[in-house]
Amino acid sequence: MNAWQVARLVAAKDLRVELRSRVVLNQVLPFAGLVMVMFAFALDKDNILQRVSPGLIWLATVFSLLILVQRTFAIESADGALDALRGAGVSPAGVFFGKSLALAVQLLTLEVLLTGLAVVLYSASFSPGGAVVMVATVLPATMGLGFVGTLYGGLAIGASGRETLLPLLLFPVVAPVLIGATRATEAALGAGGAATSDGWPWVALLTVFAVLFGVGGSLAFGPLIEE
Amino acid sequence: MDDIGFILTTYLVTFGSVALLAWRVISRGRSLARQLPDEDKPWI
Amino acid sequence: MVNVTTTASSSTSAAGPAATSPTHAGTRFTRALGIITIAAMLSLAAFGLVFSPADVVQGESVRILYIHVGTVWVAYLAFVITAVSSAAFLWKRTTSLTWDRIAGASAEIGVAFMALTLFAGALWGRLSWGTFWVWDARVTTTAFLFITYVGYLAVRGLGGSQQQRGRRSAVVALLAVLEIPLVHFSVKLWRSVHQDASVADRTTNVTLDGLMLFTLMLALVAFTLVYVWWVLLRQRVLAMQDALDDKGLDYALAERRREVTADALPGSVR
Repeated sequence: MNAWQVARLVAAKDLRVELRSRVVLNQVLPFAGLVMVMFAFALDKDNILQRVSPGLIWLATVFSLLILVQRTFAIESADGALDALRGAGVSPAGVFFGKSLALAVQLLTLEVLLTGLAVVLYSASFSPGGAVVMVATVLPATMGLGFVGTLYGGLAIGASGRETLLPLLLFPVVAPVLIGATRATEAALGAGGAATSDGWPWVALLTVFAVLFGVGGSLAFGPLIEE
Repeated sequence: MDDIGFILTTYLVTFGSVALLAWRVISRGRSLARQLPDEDKPWI
Repeated sequence: MVNVTTTASSSTSAAGPAATSPTHAGTRFTRALGIITIAAMLSLAAFGLVFSPADVVQGESVRILYIHVGTVWVAYLAFVITAVSSAAFLWKRTTSLTWDRIAGASAEIGVAFMALTLFAGALWGRLSWGTFWVWDARVTTTAFLFITYVGYLAVRGLGGSQQQRGRRSAVVALLAVLEIPLVHFSVKLWRSVHQDASVADRTTNVTLDGLMLFTLMLALVAFTLVYVWWVLLRQRVLAMQDALDDKGLDYALAERRREVTADALPGSVR
């Protein structure tokens, strides 16, 4: 079995578990929605909210990423699932890509919801060109977050105290995604008078990030989960 | 010369921290070396 | 005082493994290095605070820069050494945990020096720019590097086997090499959208005269000596710590057994 088949199987397995348990649907998505409402309480004025809505979308995404990562590795450490996976002798890179993909799909669902909420709650709006930039932003940003989340989630698997360690490790690494995706989304929404074309350098940065951590993660994941 | 407080604080904190680090590694080394036989001290 | 006498008597009278061993982690080399380091640090204080003149543009606050530049140099050097040792550890994993311990020791002092850098930098910034903090790419990257290596040290403390600790922390150290340029570049791109140039580029034009340049070099040398001395000693301490974790129970048992025989045959100990 080659790495891509492993990746497909692992991704399908993770998503099937999520579909059946409905934890993401019933808990993580409502949490993300709640965060958007809490931001509105904290920041109050309508015009401020519209100005900062890109940042809020991505902040809510990053916070939810923490929960999703913890969830995706809670599945693996329960019942010795990871030992079984190791024992099966499949490619660690395949497992890495599979778990990243499943994580990215969940994140994507989340981002669609959050963007919708920003439109409804913060009166953000897209031009047709802005929508293209937004799609081009979301894809590499989500893949990057999926890779990084899987990598650092796998790092502390089985160790005590990892719930509190994860944000400390993860947030500095995702800072470029937060900066890049927020600026690109500002361009897409025209928030703060940004031009739509301003978004493209940021899309490039996000793509570089996703590629680097995709390659780096597939190499590093083996030594990490090894006994 | 309003800067003198800032300058002295910087020097005190820096030299103090270095001294503290040095003292800690020395005392830790002493307490561990007392508990272990020579074969666990490869630098001797 | 009581403490001193008890430790002294226990180290001389106990016929255990410690009786013939040195009771410290130093060697003749590290002692000599330590004395040179102390001399260098003392002369840095003398030159930095007294002998070197105030800068024409910056005034007295330039004295903070000797500390700031010296510590930041060591901090970045420490993180390069950590990354290189981590790579060496992963490359030949079975050979030795020494690489892992050097990486850990280096990161520890790197974090300490990075904290000093940020502290000195903030004070200097307050004097020169009127603000403790600027969202400059270099400053922000340094702060991120600091937090990343605090995380690295936390990973080292996660527990598990020593090999596991080595692998995990080595991967984190190498990922930091990937992370830091990305952070630097993204912050730089971000700030360039919002303002023309960074504050740092405009106000760090210090004109160095001979004595100031000498003091700066002295700072670099002194802090580097501190770094080398500390890492040498610290990785020995870490090695002993690992050995103790491995065989701690065996030693405790042997010690106890010796005590029992020593009590039974008081005359025949020596």
